[in-house]
Amino acid sequence: MWTLVRQESFKLTRKLSTWISTGCLVGVEILFAFLSRVYPQTFVPASMFESLYFARPIINFYMIAATATIITMEFQYGTMKQVLYRRYSRGQILVSKWLAILLYTLYWYVMSTGIALLLKAMLFHHSLSIHQSAGDGMSVFTRGLSISAASFVSLWLLLSVVFLLANLFRNSAAAVSVGIIGYFASYIVTQLLTILIQKWDWAKWNPVTMTLYPSMMSRPGYYQSLLSMQAWQMLLGNLIYIAIFLGIGYYVFNRRNV
Amino acid sequence: MSSILSVQNLNKSFGNKHVLHDVSFDLKKGHIVGLVGPNGAGKSTLMKTMLGLFNYDSGSIQIAGETVTPQKHDALSKVGALIEYPGIYPFLTGWDHLQLFADGDHQLIHIQKIIQQLNMDSYIKRKAKGYSLGMKQKLGIALALVNFPELVILDEPMNGLDPQATKDLRDLIITESQRGTTFLISSHILSELQRLAQDLLIIDEGSIVQQTTMHELLASQGKQTIMLMTSDDNKTRQLLKKAKFTTTPDPRVEVVAKSDDTMPQVLRLLVENGIDILDVTRLEGNLESSLLEVLKQSRIKKKLAEEQAE
Ligand SMILES: Nc1ncnc2c1ncn2[C@@H]1O[C@H](COP(=O)(O)OP(=O)(O)OP(=O)(O)O)[C@@H](O)[C@H]1O
Ligand SMILES: [Mg+2]
Repeated sequence: MWTLVRQESFKLTRKLSTWISTGCLVGVEILFAFLSRVYPQTFVPASMFESLYFARPIINFYMIAATATIITMEFQYGTMKQVLYRRYSRGQILVSKWLAILLYTLYWYVMSTGIALLLKAMLFHHSLSIHQSAGDGMSVFTRGLSISAASFVSLWLLLSVVFLLANLFRNSAAAVSVGIIGYFASYIVTQLLTILIQKWDWAKWNPVTMTLYPSMMSRPGYYQSLLSMQAWQMLLGNLIYIAIFLGIGYYVFNRRNV
Repeated sequence: MSSILSVQNLNKSFGNKHVLHDVSFDLKKGHIVGLVGPNGAGKSTLMKTMLGLFNYDSGSIQIAGETVTPQKHDALSKVGALIEYPGIYPFLTGWDHLQLFADGDHQLIHIQKIIQQLNMDSYIKRKAKGYSLGMKQKLGIALALVNFPELVILDEPMNGLDPQATKDLRDLIITESQRGTTFLISSHILSELQRLAQDLLIIDEGSIVQQTTMHELLASQGKQTIMLMTSDDNKTRQLLKKAKFTTTPDPRVEVVAKSDDTMPQVLRLLVENGIDILDVTRLEGNLESSLLEVLKQSRIKKKLAEEQAE
């Protein structure tokens, strides 16, 4: 199994897009750090740091694309046959791809957090302390981490759907579009959601609500009453939906003709 | 001893299209077996099913005694394969590919050996994006062979190979088979197959029509043809017709030799009629005509059986 994960990671490291997008992410973080330095009124340094200098949306988009292509590229290049007719079972192949994407997600979060800390140290050495309070007994740093953790989890909710769609359609365009729509869906339908949830309490358990988890972490107290949900319920809901979507994807992958 | 590959009563459909009908055969260890049949006969489908790429309706597939299904196929560690066209990642080099698919002990030695045997040194460190058709094909073959498996399944392996590469591949297949590797090779290049394969599986419309040895097939069809090049092919044809020799519909002048005297009789006839003979070739029973004959006979039989059933 470990061999397979290493092979998947090896393919990722050999793709030019991996390095180009890493460069882009660093560029975006630097750009927003400078903006925050120059216009601290508009780009408040503390909240810019919490948002990892705008890294998270970029990570989300990039991971949606990477997840779709880790499956569909094998169909596109005709390599799926070769990958499958080895001693490894189909389940192992798919799980190795999940793990590679998990590692890849970690790579992005660790890297962007590292860059954010570096930028903070270089540009806001005197003006911002990561230990200063951000309310609710949290420091700027721990708030940043908790948002990261929440967005990591809800990103994986999207990725589990993207895995499923990439397996179903073998086409990255379809999987990527649904992933991106899913990413914006929560913002678009928040109002509708709250109306529904006021009317039927159980409606809060739908998957779109779960994608509001990171927003809940970055605006403490606001979403809890709006959605009548607690953070732990959000976490649980996310994990359950991730398991369901990955499970269906696993089933589909095991059954299909290649 | 159990055979390296045993397929019993295999049935496979795509939706309601029944593609493989009760396919059964065994491969003997160390043999080179040709899988031949018309386009759409089910060769690739059969190979893919054996490799656990397709679910099948009924029957069994065993490799070295272990059952193969899409869900479980540990036995494929003994198998290398190239199906239809090689799958190549454009962003990896040939070397990366070999490293990715090398398995088991002595990986580096195996990789170097296969590169040298297939003569790929000059481009193996380049990105596969820039490979030509034949280079990709060779890389696909190298990937099938890199673990020096016990059973190798090749679908149209000579596709796009130049004469040197074809010879390299033939030599490699023969050496490896002498060391005990079993090969199942499908190809439409029958002249090449005739030089390679000892056994033949003939498949048509999803059924095995005949499992035989190359020698038996050629002998059973026992047909010999004499091919002539003359100064006046039209006149030759007329003369042969008048003298009641059997000719083939081939555009070249070909006479079917019914006995050992046919050749001298034909030559005498032509010389006596003032025709210069530029070249004479005896075509030993060849795979193409034998195969076409077997397929024709089997279709006739099948049709008769169907008519009787009605
Ligand atoms: N994925 C698929 N879905 C539906 N039908 C298929 C599929 N793959 C193959 N077939 C059908 O199965 C039959 C056998 O196809 P197959 O590719 O095995 O033929 P083949 O013997 O390899 O032919 P060729 O010599 O042209 O390579 C054909 O009638 C084909 O239309
Ligand atoms: Mg084929």
